[in-house]
Amino acid sequence: MQNNQLCYLTIIEAAAALRKNDVSPVDLAEATLKRIQAIDSNLHAFITVTADLALQQARQAEQELSAGKDRGPLHGIPIALKDLYMTKGIRTTCHSAVLENWVPDYDATTVTKLKEAGAILLGKLGMHEFAFGGPSVDAPFPAVRNPWNTEHVTGGSSSGCGAALAAGLCFGALGSDTGGSIRTPSAHCGVVGIKPTYGRVSRYGIIPLSWSLDHAGPMARCIEDCALLLQAIAGFDAKDPASAMVAVPDFLCGLKDGIANLRIGVPRAAWFDENLGVDEETETVFNQALEVLKSLGATIIDIDGRPFSLARKANQTILVCEAYAYHEKTLQETPMKFGSSVRRRMLEGAFLSAADYLTAQRARSMLNERIRANFSQVDIFAAPSAPRPPEAFSTMDPNEQNLGPSFTNPFNLTGLPAISVPCGFTQGNLPVGLQIAAKPFEESTVLRVAHSYEQATNWHDQRPVLE
Amino acid sequence: MAKEITIEELRTMARRAGLPLPDDELLRLLPGVKRAQSQAAALRELFTNAAEPATIFTTFKIDLK
Repeated sequence: MQNNQLCYLTIIEAAAALRKNDVSPVDLAEATLKRIQAIDSNLHAFITVTADLALQQARQAEQELSAGKDRGPLHGIPIALKDLYMTKGIRTTCHSAVLENWVPDYDATTVTKLKEAGAILLGKLGMHEFAFGGPSVDAPFPAVRNPWNTEHVTGGSSSGCGAALAAGLCFGALGSDTGGSIRTPSAHCGVVGIKPTYGRVSRYGIIPLSWSLDHAGPMARCIEDCALLLQAIAGFDAKDPASAMVAVPDFLCGLKDGIANLRIGVPRAAWFDENLGVDEETETVFNQALEVLKSLGATIIDIDGRPFSLARKANQTILVCEAYAYHEKTLQETPMKFGSSVRRRMLEGAFLSAADYLTAQRARSMLNERIRANFSQVDIFAAPSAPRPPEAFSTMDPNEQNLGPSFTNPFNLTGLPAISVPCGFTQGNLPVGLQIAAKPFEESTVLRVAHSYEQATNWHDQRPVLE
Repeated sequence: MAKEITIEELRTMARRAGLPLPDDELLRLLPGVKRAQSQAAALRELFTNAAEPATIFTTFKIDLK
């Protein structure tokens, strides 16, 4: 098998190949490290590559597997982490000068779980600085570039996760999502990313952006891989005050059960045309995706988009207040250590009042009820993952906001599980994502619908030309 | 609806908040602050006095651990 074929195996395929002794964990680690060395200088997906550790973990996995000690489907699989997951003894920068050389002394709970599952850590991935603002053009590390066209952004803030997966530089990744930071780069890079229900995956050991809106979740090249990663990291964690004591189902079981009679709510009216509205090509691709879902047995039902539209105002108010509160001391003492984009967004929180914050939290309660009330008539919600394709660096203003509707914010505000799955390309060959959201703790539904769609199309098999 | 914040008010608020921001930075910040404040103001139209914030302290959550 050629090096690039090896690097583009899905986790499911790689796990099967490992157990047939067609490849070894060391083969997988060496192939991905070689590819990172060959092409990442054009993408900047990685901030830190942990080559020695990866090879050491790969050799250990190889010994364990050959001795019959099988830790499960992630055993021997090379993965990477957004650089806000705390990793004991490994630099964790948040893509910022503020933490440029900071080395944590403990692992995030999710990192511990991946280690226990036998995954191999390739390194730490680039992001929007502190998971906020735009691409970090004035941070100490370069902004991540989109493998589909390096003149374009990846979307964020889990930028490196999207780029590394699309470029075959890792088999799976963990991102975080406070307003769309898993789903947007997944859509823009043509990969899959799920934001689980708030409380499903521990946030312990992940540098916060906004405590009440932050979600941790996996990104991968296909739905099954995403389900596998979610399985490994989900579950109650006493160290996370928001962690939910809810049983974790088998996310792979039922994945292939289809979507006959599924009722899909599309909150188009009063949402899709908000501000500058949704890009025409994106909406066309989204409508085609709905036709595919209909052909698989689903029914499309139009629902009121107003509460979804209002959700952004509440989400952003809460986000800037909580982000400012977390970073207040650094902003007071060394504000210029932050890049301009993230600094200006965070500082907005300094000029909102306690009443503004509580108003947003009251709106959250009300909008949560209004959005969830739709579940009396529909099973899931569908929308584009992003209102437009990834912008070019040359025309992008990292400080510009609110140019279109936020299709992702409502599911942070409500905590509902939501996924982005590739659903086509623009004329300019840039990926578009389909977003699916469901009731609380129904990640299995989200994964089943996305898997049905994925298997009926071939978008997830498309690869960017990089060599 | 409250009136829009001015650069002078922003300067005063920044000083009170202990933020050493030069005037050019405050000027760049002003549009974002206006937008953030208008977003928060728009949310006030939404509900009645019955609406409680989503962040309510619960004692039993601590006992669970």
